[in-house]
Amino acid sequence: MAKGIDPLETMPVSPYARPTRWALWFWSTLVLGFLYMPIFFLVLFSFNEPRTPGLPITGLTLHWYEVAAGNSVLLDAVKNSLIVSVAVAILATLIGTMAAFVLVRGRLRHADSIRIVSTMPIMLPGVLLGIGLLIFFRRVLDLELSLLTVIAGHLVFTIPFVVLIVAARLKGFDKRLEWAAADLGADPRQSLRYVILPLIWPAIAAGALISVTLSIDEFIITFFTVGPQVTLPLYIYTQVKFGVTPEVNAVATVLLASTVLLLIVSGLVLRGGRKLMKRGAK
Amino acid sequence: MDDLTSAASSRWRRYAPGIPGAIALLVLFIGPMLFMLVFSFWETDLDFNLVPNWNVDNYLRFFTVPTYLRTLAKTLVMASAVTLAGLAVALPFTYFLVRYVSRRWQRLILLAVIVPFWTSYLLRVYAWQAILGERGALNQVLMFLGIIDQPSRLFVYNDVGVFVVLLYVYFPFAALALYASLEKFDFGQLHAAQDLGARPDQAFRHILLPQIRAGIITACIFIFIPILGEFLTPTVVGGVQGTLIANLVVNFFRGAQIAEGAALGIVIALFVTALLVVFRKYLRLEDVVTRG
Repeated sequence: MAKGIDPLETMPVSPYARPTRWALWFWSTLVLGFLYMPIFFLVLFSFNEPRTPGLPITGLTLHWYEVAAGNSVLLDAVKNSLIVSVAVAILATLIGTMAAFVLVRGRLRHADSIRIVSTMPIMLPGVLLGIGLLIFFRRVLDLELSLLTVIAGHLVFTIPFVVLIVAARLKGFDKRLEWAAADLGADPRQSLRYVILPLIWPAIAAGALISVTLSIDEFIITFFTVGPQVTLPLYIYTQVKFGVTPEVNAVATVLLASTVLLLIVSGLVLRGGRKLMKRGAK
Repeated sequence: MDDLTSAASSRWRRYAPGIPGAIALLVLFIGPMLFMLVFSFWETDLDFNLVPNWNVDNYLRFFTVPTYLRTLAKTLVMASAVTLAGLAVALPFTYFLVRYVSRRWQRLILLAVIVPFWTSYLLRVYAWQAILGERGALNQVLMFLGIIDQPSRLFVYNDVGVFVVLLYVYFPFAALALYASLEKFDFGQLHAAQDLGARPDQAFRHILLPQIRAGIITACIFIFIPILGEFLTPTVVGGVQGTLIANLVVNFFRGAQIAEGAALGIVIALFVTALLVVFRKYLRLEDVVTRG
């Protein structure tokens, strides 16, 4: 609201301008409330004593966090989810970054069609991807389902995310920097190592981060491609479906806290990267 | 001769980094989809084996069995309703954000819209169970206020619950898409239009709306398409009544009726692809994805 400098902004053109503005303000507050109300209750119920999550709040406790911490099935699920998401992030970032280079600079024929097909897995509902993979792994290749098939399944939609993000960065890249490097005697490999990669690494990092988060959260594709193992979303699903105790809320709260933490840390890292960029661009 | 080989090798060097990605796309996406297409024309026999008995019965069934048609129609109605509601929620919100809020706060509020994306989708759906359910917060509040005297089951395990949760899960996509296009709009144009005699609503309709069309279409696509494949929300808060089309696909697969499930999957996939092709010019994938 500190836009008072522009006379156009402060001069009400219509008699309804001011009430409209208040209505919009009120609406936006409601929207943010709507967005955070479920999360608020999710966290609140994790500290509540009764066995079923809900109101009223009868007493605050950390009991459900202790229960969660001592649950070996849950811990195993967390371990599996971490293994899968780290593997997915590494592979997706490598494969996706390389593919983005070819898409943006490969002077491909039918580049537009290739771009559309390669981003299809993002837009197509996960149920279809999951079922397609299940049919393919079981009926065509006759594979045993395991964490490996889960990793393969997660790559389907994480690679396109990395491609999109890195390609967007590569397109906005000032080519003259590369010419300058070549003028100064850098061979292509040196220019990649010392010019291009330092400039696009925030995009690569963002791609890796998105891959980790999407993979940890992915329920549907995991559901169809997993063997006897349990991952975190699968564990939460069975809890939600059969017999909920506030233990799930405790897990949710820990997840939420670690995500926010991860976001803050990566935000700081990316900001550092951006500063580096600006210095590089000067 | 030497020129030819060096041209070929330079092209090779240009394409080589894309090969792992191409293989992944081929093996993990295009391949499975093609096999799904093939199996949709096969048959599941009485022992639940898949037999290559080519036919189109799996497709015809959807247009003859009323339950399937009804579920399909209901899914389309639900997706449209949530899309409209999503726009109605997100447009005033983003308009206010872009026009009346300082850049600094805009960024913070936008971040607040994005953060829930980074929390588990499953948990966001589950959280609503604790609000809408019989012992949920909504019932407790209504009882406390004396509006109802017994917990109501009106809010969950039916279409109302599914609608609310889907709106909750998908309207942030609309907000991001709309924000991206509103941000580029010059609000001086609205004043100019009004100077020239347009009423505020006319200026809004004829000046603003056409210029944010791409954003509106992207927002619609990002709400409408996922709902066509939505199976978790109906399972968690929908109960028996709230079933959507993707639940049918999953049920077929649970019942080992792969041919039938594959056919329904292909129908949905074709529908989604058609939407994407029709609106490809307006679709700004990056606006939503690279922000989230």
